[in-house]
Amino acid sequence: MAHHFDAKNAPFDRLTAEEVDAVREALDIVYFRPNETIFGRGKAPDSLFIVIKGLVEERDGDDLVALRGPGDAFDSRALVQGGGSNAFIAREETLCNLLPRDVTLKLINQNPRFASFFYLDIARKLGAATREEEAARFAPLLAARVRDLFLHPAVFMDAKDTIADAGARMKAANCHALLVREGAETGIVTRTDLLNAAVLDRRSIESPIGSLARRPIISVAPDDLVSTALLRMTKHNKQRVAVTENSEFVGLLEDIDLLSFLAGNSQLVAGRIDRSSSVAELARAARTIDTQIRTLRRQGVRVDIVCEIVSDLNRHLHAKLFSLVAPKSIRESGCLIVMGSEGRGEQTFRTDQDNGLILAASVPPADLETFRTDMFDALEQCGFPPCPGEVMVRNPVWSKTLADFRDDFSRWLALSNETGAMNIAIFYDAMATAGEADLLRTAKQTLIDLMHGERVYLARFARAIDAFPTPIGFFNNLVTSKAEGDALDLKKGGIFPIVHGVRALALENGLHETGTAARIARLGELGAFEHQFARELTEALHYLMTLRLDAQIAEAAPTSLVKPGELSTMERDLLRDAFHVVKRLREMLRRHFNLAMF
Amino acid sequence: MLLALKRRLHRHLLRDPLYAFLFEPPPPGEAVSVDCETTGLSTRKDDIVAVAAIRIRGNRILTSERFEATVKPRAKLNAEAIKVHRLREQDVASGRSIDEVLLELLRFIGSRPLVGFYLEFDVAMLNKHMRRLLGIELPNQQIEVSGIYYRRKYGDAPPGTQVDLRFISIMTDLGLPLLDQHDAYSDALMTAMMYLKLRDLEARDIRIARQRAKPVS
Repeated sequence: MAHHFDAKNAPFDRLTAEEVDAVREALDIVYFRPNETIFGRGKAPDSLFIVIKGLVEERDGDDLVALRGPGDAFDSRALVQGGGSNAFIAREETLCNLLPRDVTLKLINQNPRFASFFYLDIARKLGAATREEEAARFAPLLAARVRDLFLHPAVFMDAKDTIADAGARMKAANCHALLVREGAETGIVTRTDLLNAAVLDRRSIESPIGSLARRPIISVAPDDLVSTALLRMTKHNKQRVAVTENSEFVGLLEDIDLLSFLAGNSQLVAGRIDRSSSVAELARAARTIDTQIRTLRRQGVRVDIVCEIVSDLNRHLHAKLFSLVAPKSIRESGCLIVMGSEGRGEQTFRTDQDNGLILAASVPPADLETFRTDMFDALEQCGFPPCPGEVMVRNPVWSKTLADFRDDFSRWLALSNETGAMNIAIFYDAMATAGEADLLRTAKQTLIDLMHGERVYLARFARAIDAFPTPIGFFNNLVTSKAEGDALDLKKGGIFPIVHGVRALALENGLHETGTAARIARLGELGAFEHQFARELTEALHYLMTLRLDAQIAEAAPTSLVKPGELSTMERDLLRDAFHVVKRLREMLRRHFNLAMF
Repeated sequence: MLLALKRRLHRHLLRDPLYAFLFEPPPPGEAVSVDCETTGLSTRKDDIVAVAAIRIRGNRILTSERFEATVKPRAKLNAEAIKVHRLREQDVASGRSIDEVLLELLRFIGSRPLVGFYLEFDVAMLNKHMRRLLGIELPNQQIEVSGIYYRRKYGDAPPGTQVDLRFISIMTDLGLPLLDQHDAYSDALMTAMMYLKLRDLEARDIRIARQRAKPVS
C-alpha cells in the first residue's frame, strides 16, 4: 500500500520491518506555507522532519546552506545533540513527516546501521573542515609525480676521466653526483665517493673514476609517484635515485629535494635560484615556487608570510635572470622593477609578467633590444606568462630612461584618463628587484611630487574603488552571483577596493612603501586612519587573501571566487565582517575625496 | 441561527448524557478529517464497512493519533462497492459492530469540526446510526474541502466553465502526494492534506489557476 512515508529512502531503508511499522505509528504530517519558518536558528526541534513534498531551505543567518527536497531528513545534528541548529524555512508549500525525537533516538540506539547514517551526517558537518584539511595536507603531495619535483640534471662522464675532472665538473654543474659511462654500463659516482677516494684511500686525484662508480643504479620513472621514489630510497638506503624514461637518464632526484617538496623549504629554493647558472636551471627552480606556496599554506603559515616568502623568491629569481640575461651596459645603468601585486609583495601563485626597466641614461639600442626580448623569453621560460596589457620590459613604454619615465608621468597626469590612472597605479606599486634601486626611488619621488596637491586628480584616481559593489546585501547577507555558480568575487568585492583605496591615500600622503599592509600601518601612524581601523583593515585584507589563496589551492587555478555555501559558519561570519570593513573604507574614502561630486 | 437552534434541539433530544461533550466548544485550532467506506452509495440501503478519522491540530495532521475501524455491516456487500474499497465479506467479517465503532468514533472526534470530501454522504451514513443510538444527528460543524476548492478555483469563473471536483483532480491540482485511494485511512489523510493546503491558500487569498478554456475557432 502506498503510504505517505516511504521507507525505501535512506536512512530508513536500514530499518527492520517492525521498526518501519514503529516509525509509521509515530509519524505526524505537517504543512508549511512558502517562507514559513519550520524552526528558527538555535531552536532545538522536537522531531525529525522528512520532506514528503516541497522544498526546504537550510539557512545560516541570511545565507542559504542547503536545500532539502522530498525524501530528505533534517536536522539530525540538532536532534541528536539537542543543541541549536541552522534555521529551516519552507521555500514552497511543503509537507513533511514528523518523527518524534524520542522515537528517532530509540531507533538510533537499537539499530547501529541506522545510527551510523546520522552520526556520519553529523561528523561530516562538524569535522569536514578539519579532516579535509588533514587529508589535503598530505594526500596530494604523496600523489604527486616524480616529474613535479626538482631534479638535478643528469651529467655524464667517462670512466677514464679523473677524480679531479669529476670534482670540477660537479662544481660547475652544481650537482652532487655524476653518471659514469663504461662501455654499455652506467654507474654513479657521488661527491662523497670522490672525497673518500682522495682523502681516506689516498688515491691520486689523477686516477680514473671508473673504479669508483657503483652499479646498479636505482631508478624511478618521471611518472612514478613521489611516494614510490621515497620508498625506493628508503629501501635501498640511497640519498639519490636516477630518473629514467625509455632507458634514457633524464635527471637525478636527491633526497633533500624530495623532503623539501614534502616539508617545504623555501630556503632551499632560494639557494637553488642563487646558484643557478643558466636560464634552464632557473626555470627548474622556479617551478618549485608554486609547490612551496601549497606546502607553506598547508602547514598553516599565515597568508602574509606566504606572500613575503614568495615575493622574496620571485625577486631572487628576477635578480638572477637579470644578471644572466642583461648586457653589461644595462646591468650597470639599469634598474629592473616588478609592478602590480608582485611589486606590492601580495602575489602568491604566479600571474603574468608585470615588469619594467628604468635606465639612468641611454644605452646602445642594440643592447636594449636584445635585453627586451631575452628577458621576456627567460621569464616566460620560468613560467611567467605574457601580460595581456603589455606591462613588461618587452614593451618600450615600460623600458626606457628615467627622463622618459618622468615625461610620461606628466603626460599621464595631464591626460587624466583611465589608462593614465591605471599606469600611475601600476607604477606606484613598483619594487626594484635588480640593479640601481635609487633610480626607482627617484622616479617615484617625481611621481609623488607631481601628484602633490592634485586633489581633483587624486579623487578621480580614487573613484575606481566604486567600480564593483561590496557583496553585502541589505539584510547583511552575502550576495552571490548566480552566473558564477552562487559564488562571490573576493578580488572585485574586497581585495581590489582595499588595495586601491589604500593606494590612493598612500599616493596623497607621498608614501614610499609598496605593500598594502605597510601602507596601512604608515597611514595609521600619520593619522590618516584610526589605529583600530588600520588594524581591522589589515586583518580584512589578509582574511580575504587567505580565502582566495585557499580557493586557488583547492581549485588549482588562479580563481578569486568563493562559494559562501561551502564555507563554515565561522568563515562566513568572518567574510561578512571583512566586507563590512571594506564598506567602511569606501564610505571614508568617499567623504575624504568628496567623491559625491562626480 | 437555524444551526444553533438545531444544536439546542439536539442537545435536548440527546438520550445519553454521557455524550454531552459533543456540544462542548471544540479545542481551538483542531478539526477531524473523516472518511467512511460503504457497501454502496445508497444512504438508505447501504452501510458502513470501514471508518477512519485523523485529528488536525494547527498545521499538523496527527496521523499518530488516528482512528481506524472495520465494521461488520448489516447490509450485504455490493459487488460494485467491493471493487472500490476492496474489502470483501471475509475482510469485514472480523469487523466490529457499528454501534461499538460509532460510540468510539464520537469520543475520538468530540466536538471538533469535521473535514471531509463529499462529507454530506459520510455524515448521512453516520447519522443513520446516531439517530438510532443517541436520538440525535452529528452536531459538529462540517467543512467540505471540495467547497473550499470550488471557491478558490471557480468562485469567479464565468458561467459555462467546466467544473471538475473529482477527488483525484483536486489532489493533482493542489500538487499533493497521491496515496492509495478508497482505503478509509488514506482518503481521510489526503482529505486532511487538501484541507491544510486549501485553508492556507484561503488565508493568503491565493486563487487556484484555471486552465484557459479552448478558444473558439
